[in-house]
Amino acid sequence: MSLSFPTMAAIRFGYGFRPGEAPPDSKDDLIGQLRMGVAATPDFPLGGPDMRHQAILSLQAQLKQIRQDAKTVTDDTTQREMRKGVQQQVQQQFQHDANLRLMQAVLSPYGFYERLSTFWTDHFSTSANKSLPMRLIVPLYEAEAIRPFISGRFGDLLRNATAHPAMLIYLDQADSLGPDSAGGMKRNKGLNENLGRELLELHTLGAGSGYSQADVTAAAMVLTGLTIDRKEMDIAFRPNISEPGAHEVLGVSYGGRRRSRDDYLDMLDDLALHPKTAAHISRKLAVHFIADQPDEGMVSDMAEAWKKTDGDLTAVYTAMLDHPAAWRDEGAKARQPFDYIVAGLRALNAGPVNGVVGSFLASNQQGTDEGDMAANTPGMAGSPVPTDPAGEAREKRLKAFQTARALGQGALRRMGQPTWLPPSPAGFEEGFSAWITGSQLAERLAWARRAAAQFGRDEDPREFLKSTLADAARDETIRVVSQAPNKISGLTLVLASPEFNRR
Amino acid sequence: MNRISLSRRGFLTSACCLAAAPIFTPVTFAAMPGDNRFVTIVLRGAMDGLDLVQPYGDAGFAPLRPTLALTPDTGLLDLDGHFGLNPAAAELMPLWKSRELAFVHAVSTPYRDQRSHFDGQDMLESGGEHVAEEKTGWLNRALAVIPRSDARKAIDINTSTELILSGPNNVDVWASDSNLAPARDEMQFLARLYAGDPPFAEALAEATRANSASMMVEPEGQRGAKIADVAALAAKMLKGDYRIASFSISGWDTHIGQAGQFKRPVQDLSQAINTLKTTLGSEIWAKTVVLAMTEFGRTVRQNGSAGTDHGTGGCALLSGGAINGGRVLGRWPGIGDGQLLDDRDLMPTADVRELAAAMLYRQFDVSADDLTGKIFPGLGFDKGSQFLRG
Repeated sequence: MSLSFPTMAAIRFGYGFRPGEAPPDSKDDLIGQLRMGVAATPDFPLGGPDMRHQAILSLQAQLKQIRQDAKTVTDDTTQREMRKGVQQQVQQQFQHDANLRLMQAVLSPYGFYERLSTFWTDHFSTSANKSLPMRLIVPLYEAEAIRPFISGRFGDLLRNATAHPAMLIYLDQADSLGPDSAGGMKRNKGLNENLGRELLELHTLGAGSGYSQADVTAAAMVLTGLTIDRKEMDIAFRPNISEPGAHEVLGVSYGGRRRSRDDYLDMLDDLALHPKTAAHISRKLAVHFIADQPDEGMVSDMAEAWKKTDGDLTAVYTAMLDHPAAWRDEGAKARQPFDYIVAGLRALNAGPVNGVVGSFLASNQQGTDEGDMAANTPGMAGSPVPTDPAGEAREKRLKAFQTARALGQGALRRMGQPTWLPPSPAGFEEGFSAWITGSQLAERLAWARRAAAQFGRDEDPREFLKSTLADAARDETIRVVSQAPNKISGLTLVLASPEFNRR
Repeated sequence: MNRISLSRRGFLTSACCLAAAPIFTPVTFAAMPGDNRFVTIVLRGAMDGLDLVQPYGDAGFAPLRPTLALTPDTGLLDLDGHFGLNPAAAELMPLWKSRELAFVHAVSTPYRDQRSHFDGQDMLESGGEHVAEEKTGWLNRALAVIPRSDARKAIDINTSTELILSGPNNVDVWASDSNLAPARDEMQFLARLYAGDPPFAEALAEATRANSASMMVEPEGQRGAKIADVAALAAKMLKGDYRIASFSISGWDTHIGQAGQFKRPVQDLSQAINTLKTTLGSEIWAKTVVLAMTEFGRTVRQNGSAGTDHGTGGCALLSGGAINGGRVLGRWPGIGDGQLLDDRDLMPTADVRELAAAMLYRQFDVSADDLTGKIFPGLGFDKGSQFLRG
């Protein structure tokens, strides 16, 4: 190992250093973060899961009302205003949640757990763009279907992710009916193979691993019946839309004369333990954490641990950390935009501690209503500034909000990794070359300048470099930073350095 | 309309640069016969070619697509009596009428039986015969064999590189609204900071090049990230030093409620092409080929939720003043019983790589040997190809 253990652990397996937080000093420390992370309640969705369930139901009801009104009310303007009002509310909640997710990663002392949460949320990608209710459902999905299960058996994670309304909506499962089922024939609807395909291709075995189109279709048939109870916004299994008969996936037959929930659960369990799944996901983890071309010995050790423990993910992570390749060749990966911004905000100790314009998070939340209006309405942001004290306060809040957005969600969008909005079911790009481009560098520099000016006024660049990169800083970086023409430039150079953009 | 004839042309070194772009004259172009442009647009998500260019003259079509099939009586825009254009693409009709637009039906990559978007796009962009056979993009490999291409540039309008243009040859990646804005003294420090780290040094050089080029064509504050902004920036770069541009349009994965979902990406595509034409201006447009292509087509039968699932044979689009359009090219395989691939997909009758190869040959004189050896290994190339006729 060329770097000290805590540096390697904080940068490669976490979101980097944060002043006042002790970096992990052993593998047990890293593994211990999993238990603590699972036990802690995530900051999102805003108000907690129960309130979110109610909010989703209430949104459903409002949308239904609007649809019904559309049949009787002829006043277009009123209709439009109502729709716009609902959309705005939902969009604001989504922004709150996205900011909470960002700050959770910044403030959490369980970096390895947070990194894994990001990995798995991306592995089981869903996008909040699919429909208006999804803006409320996707944050809930990560909180209740992903985060609690990432240290246990992969099979449990797979079951929870697959059967969450977010996944059923995103991959159109809610609209897939057995073509020969009673319900399918009655409604003259049939199969939609989207979830069946991505289940094999992305979530378990991996593309090109040898399954056939017949396996995809059969898997989609086994999944029929799994749908959403739209009234409750919860999953349901309806035998009357389940394709009757037995369906053979990878040589194993599921179902029979009477179809039940156990058919698809059995299929998921088999897929979770399939050697190709173990190999595919072990490799994907190694690629994500260690190198675009990972050590094959490490991948097979991880797959072996998978096999020995029936897919216990903690055992798989441990096998990764136990392999010497996990502690070599530092900086082989590029920090992805979310990783970069979280690491930057951590280094600058943004949040409740270092609040130049008030807490970063607080500005995000308090300013959202007015800020969103200002951001969405042309002319608003540039309208005359009132001089009364209340107006000044409002102006200050608005400015704080705009700064927070520029450093948070706005930057993530510009860098190509907007929160909970992956471009496809395969999630965001992984490789180094996808993220280190001219365009990306321009965005990162702009961010670094702005963040340094916002949070770094009291920092000495040389001290900042030490606390941020420790022994990962190269000699040349130390020299360049110490010669910077001014403080903000010096801090910007630290955040722009190759070491800070690699992990 | 002056069309570029298919005679082999050599590149002449050109003195054109960005600053000179606005004063280009037709005479200048005539004196620089190696001045063609090529734009590729990757349609991500598997565009349903059968929805865009509907075979309404095929009696089998309407029964397989009860809610998706249109006829000229229900709004379909007739193209040639057999095929009709989806009304969402109405903005493309003027180009069709002026013969600057063609469609190529029933094409696919050699990727035939797995139907994964990601492998499909890898195949489309890498140009290989099999998944993961080629690690670089075909358009990047083409840069190395275009005669006298060293002075020419290519640009990828994105925040991250797309496979089609990635590889060892010099390509600039730039988003339509990016801005480097370095302080003068900061640049020297950045150059030192990255001196020992080649990928970062190259990214900085790329940012510097693209930034100064884009600053000259488009002042800061006028930029945006909408498809028209992307196409406009690509066109402005092509008016300068750049000869090849690539960008992508997503939103084509229409598993559900396709009639509604299909409109937006089709409108984006129409807008992108019209913006390219308008921004390039008639002289450059006359030397331009735009190739829009997708990883694979979609199932011929609509699925259980009024959408379509992943299929094989699809449709590509050609546009530009340099093509002889107003035609639906390709061999139509039919969609009757026994005519479908795996009883579900449009049977591909041509390889989309043949089309790309023909355009590289037409625009840049890439030799047949290079086309079939270096750029598309294993592909046959026919100089009498229907894509080159006319």
